[in-house]
Amino acid sequence: MSERKRKFEQLVLPHVDAAYNLARWLTRNDHDAEDVVQEAVLRAYRYFDGLRGEARPWLLAIVRNSCITWLQVNRPVELAAFDDNDLRHDALNEDGPEAHVARNVDRRMLNEAIAALPAQFREVLILRELEDLSYKEIARIAAVPMGTVMSRLARARRLLAASLRAISNASGAQVRG
Amino acid sequence: MNGEEVGRLLHAYVDGELDPAKSLELEAYLAGNPAAREACDRLRGISGAIREKADYHAAPAPLAARLRASLPAVPDEINRRAAWPGRLKLAASFAAAILVTWFAAIGYLRPDGDERIAQEALASHLRATLVNRLAEVASSDQHTVKPWLSARLTFSPPVMDLSAHGFELVGGRLDYIAGRPVAALVYKRRQHMIDVFVWPGQAAAGERTFARDGFNVTGFARDGMLFWMVSDLNQNELHDLSRLMAGNGRAP
Repeated sequence: MSERKRKFEQLVLPHVDAAYNLARWLTRNDHDAEDVVQEAVLRAYRYFDGLRGEARPWLLAIVRNSCITWLQVNRPVELAAFDDNDLRHDALNEDGPEAHVARNVDRRMLNEAIAALPAQFREVLILRELEDLSYKEIARIAAVPMGTVMSRLARARRLLAASLRAISNASGAQVRG
Repeated sequence: MNGEEVGRLLHAYVDGELDPAKSLELEAYLAGNPAAREACDRLRGISGAIREKADYHAAPAPLAARLRASLPAVPDEINRRAAWPGRLKLAASFAAAILVTWFAAIGYLRPDGDERIAQEALASHLRATLVNRLAEVASSDQHTVKPWLSARLTFSPPVMDLSAHGFELVGGRLDYIAGRPVAALVYKRRQHMIDVFVWPGQAAAGERTFARDGFNVTGFARDGMLFWMVSDLNQNELHDLSRLMAGNGRAP
């Protein structure tokens, strides 16, 4: 086995779970996530010489690009006109008494609510909460400024809170606690 | 701080991305504002719920095996060469966009080098002041303070008697700055408390001075030691102290 291949397996392949998690959340199905990851990993291998610093954010940036390309081809509507200027920084919001709904929400509802977020919000949320990456790393992966990461994340959480609230109000059952 | 600013900073705060000085400011605001505190709790609730309950999709085992098998022994050279210029251009423009906006828009996120040390020093000073524990060893005698610190650190900080110059030694404590334990010497001038943080190191530049939130922070190096002082004392008098310390207790 070549030295290059051995190093790649050592440095990059351990992050295949992170790659798949991101791809799965962005494509929202197993089959396409596998295809996207496969393609992205081959691309990563090709550009392996360009790896500087940590492998995980580097790989995720490549996976993220593959996902966006995939979405452009297969789900163009999801990437439809999206303007970060609309993300006026949200002031302290007044959410009402059922605010602690997040703590009691059921797993399936939460997953559905995240999956229903626009892709641009979903990606920063997954990178932050599930991959625990810093704003700086997320900015590099999503190719946006750090300020944009912050405002997208803020909006993502707000949208999520709102939709969880709507779900539990509709079902009427999940709010107690 | 107004509600809008708080709303903006709260996420960075909950994510641990806010610098120490700004965090303290926010914490002070939260302490006096139950509604904001509740918003903060809600945010932690949402974040916690996602971390705890959202699905983490690990790669199916066959995928990892397939990936390993699919790596060609020799990478595709031609493809690589052809692909570079376009990618480089793209990468450069992304990088430029990120840098420009970053520096222009959010100076308060994760600053670097001296500025970060200045902020850490300020935050440590404020924290110690808030809980009223500036001096763990309270003594105006340099021969008490110095051994106390030396016994607890891997270096021996210079402790000077500067009372003749109007800077009264109050004591010292241990603190933690720039990722290491440091000595904090506490001096007093009139009613102003001054923290002087000392640890071994070389300065990249000469004396650096920062002003933030009504506090002055000054850093310099002497004889292999770094000195960072923080106080609400005015810049001129703080500068007097730094010159005294740089001159080892003698007025220049």
